[in-house]
Amino acid sequence: MVAMNARTDKKRWLPQLGGAINALFLGLFSLATLYPFWYEAAASFSSSRAITSGEVMFWPVEFNIEAYKRLFEDGQLFISMKNTIWVTFVGTLLNIVLTILAAYPLSKKRLLGRSALLMFITFTMLFVSGLIPNFILVKYLGLMNSYWSLWLPALISTYNMFVMKTFMEGLPEEIEESAAIDGAGDWRILVQIIMPLCKPIVVALSLFYAVGWWNNYFQVMLYIGKSNKQTLMLKLYQMIRQVDQHLLNPAGGSEGVMQAMLTPEAIKAAAIVIAITPILCVYPFLQKHFVKGVLIGSVKG
Amino acid sequence: MKGMIPVDQVPVGTKKNGTITKRLIRDKYLYSMLLPVIVFYIVFKYLPMGGEIIAFKDYRFADGLLGSKWAGLKHFELLFESADFWRVLRNTLLLNVYSLVFGFPVPIVLALLLNEVRREWYKRLVQNFLYVPHFISWVVLGGILVAMLSPSTGIVNLLLNKVFGIDPIYFMANSSWWPVMYTLSGIWREAGWGTILYLAAMAAIDTQLYEAAKIDGANKLRQIWHVTLPGIRSTIAILLILRMGSMMDVGLEQTLVLQNSSVLDVADVISTYVYRVGLQNMNYSYTTAIGLFQSIVGLILIISVNRVIKVSGERGLW
Repeated sequence: MVAMNARTDKKRWLPQLGGAINALFLGLFSLATLYPFWYEAAASFSSSRAITSGEVMFWPVEFNIEAYKRLFEDGQLFISMKNTIWVTFVGTLLNIVLTILAAYPLSKKRLLGRSALLMFITFTMLFVSGLIPNFILVKYLGLMNSYWSLWLPALISTYNMFVMKTFMEGLPEEIEESAAIDGAGDWRILVQIIMPLCKPIVVALSLFYAVGWWNNYFQVMLYIGKSNKQTLMLKLYQMIRQVDQHLLNPAGGSEGVMQAMLTPEAIKAAAIVIAITPILCVYPFLQKHFVKGVLIGSVKG
Repeated sequence: MKGMIPVDQVPVGTKKNGTITKRLIRDKYLYSMLLPVIVFYIVFKYLPMGGEIIAFKDYRFADGLLGSKWAGLKHFELLFESADFWRVLRNTLLLNVYSLVFGFPVPIVLALLLNEVRREWYKRLVQNFLYVPHFISWVVLGGILVAMLSPSTGIVNLLLNKVFGIDPIYFMANSSWWPVMYTLSGIWREAGWGTILYLAAMAAIDTQLYEAAKIDGANKLRQIWHVTLPGIRSTIAILLILRMGSMMDVGLEQTLVLQNSSVLDVADVISTYVYRVGLQNMNYSYTTAIGLFQSIVGLILIISVNRVIKVSGERGLW
């Protein structure tokens, strides 16, 4: 202790300075991460002229809400948002039900054929079949232009299912056993006893699934040709990619040419802001549960 | 836990023994739950695997899966002779190597820095900020990037011009800049999120080790080097090996949003090529052959990775 006290002041403030630099760096790094979103928001309230001449940096220039007005009047974006909400809601519900139906029986060590079933399922994570066979399957099943083409092929994320199974394996067995002695069947045990205990993981996985649905555009682009059924992210994609779109989208070739008119920057920015606002609104809630989900998932590895 | 319950106390309903029929009947409700699950896996996972046979046929929609003529290995021969294939394979591997070399260390460094922040509220604030892009669709991220990097109207080029007098750079349409932007955008989205597992591993390090290091006179940097890094070594190793297992995958959504026709020489990867050539030109069999090649290499990679993990004494993936 004496030796430490005898050290010069320099030794004392050096770590503090290091800590301050570290904090400053992390602060700048996180601001840099968020700046593009901020910029887009500022741009959405600016005039297109101000955006294209580079006057917008941190605050709206020539403030106006013209872009939002035009998006509202057009209405397309909001129809697609309604579609997205529907796709997200039903998709997530189906995901959670099926994930539980898979995870619960598989979490029971006593189940005959359990390891064979696990291998049957795990193999689909290792060998991932290509785009074309999946496309052809959806076409053969007559699912084109129906939201079932999105929901059915993605009913269960095997990774999420294993996270759920790991969680269920960690539940105390005694509760279930006493229920079994009382004569409760497996379905009743699942619904009345297991489900309430699984609330945190159900919330976390619902959010995983829901964000995935909200952000998905590729499958919609493949399978949903009808314009009035398309989702927010696909509309946004088309808006952003308008120049190259007729080259990249075989399904909607004629539409691509029709939309090849350039959308003003401010409108693009406003559409982007509208698309991410719902996610940012639930973000504080979201990220807490997400982190939990990741950590539960990592226990299994 | 399970081993601690004596066998004779296990209730009848949960015993692991009995004849096969008795066990099947006892657990009939569990099997009834699994029924839709098994149907899902057969129809939407295993049927497409069967569908891969069109790589060995001249597939036409009109003739159907079984009716189309066999083509043997024709499509694979075409494939290995075509320049396109080697180009998209090279791009797929290169983009993965860039993301690995430049992207993999970033979350580790960020986690080390975050771990040194003493004010808990500030640490949490920075974490919350860094996680945001992970939740945002590539459509949005790509849209923002393309807008900001545009040579005529993008803020980045305008600033470069004002401050350094540099001529506009075609970041997204230039074959040397595009991979840089691809890699940076990946870091932007995932670096913050990637810190979670490292921070969890750091939180599990015994604080006594730091005390001991302090008593030995180790400064912050030496503490990080001798205590923190060894503490997260196995996490780094596992994540690195897992990353190696996905060297054949390139995020389709990310690439599709960022690429454009002028950078296809560096930006076209297997999945985007299959999408464009397969679905647009209806070259089903040919592109299925590429997809099958990718799936098989992916399978070999992941099996090798699992073996490596098991050999190194950790628990395998399966």
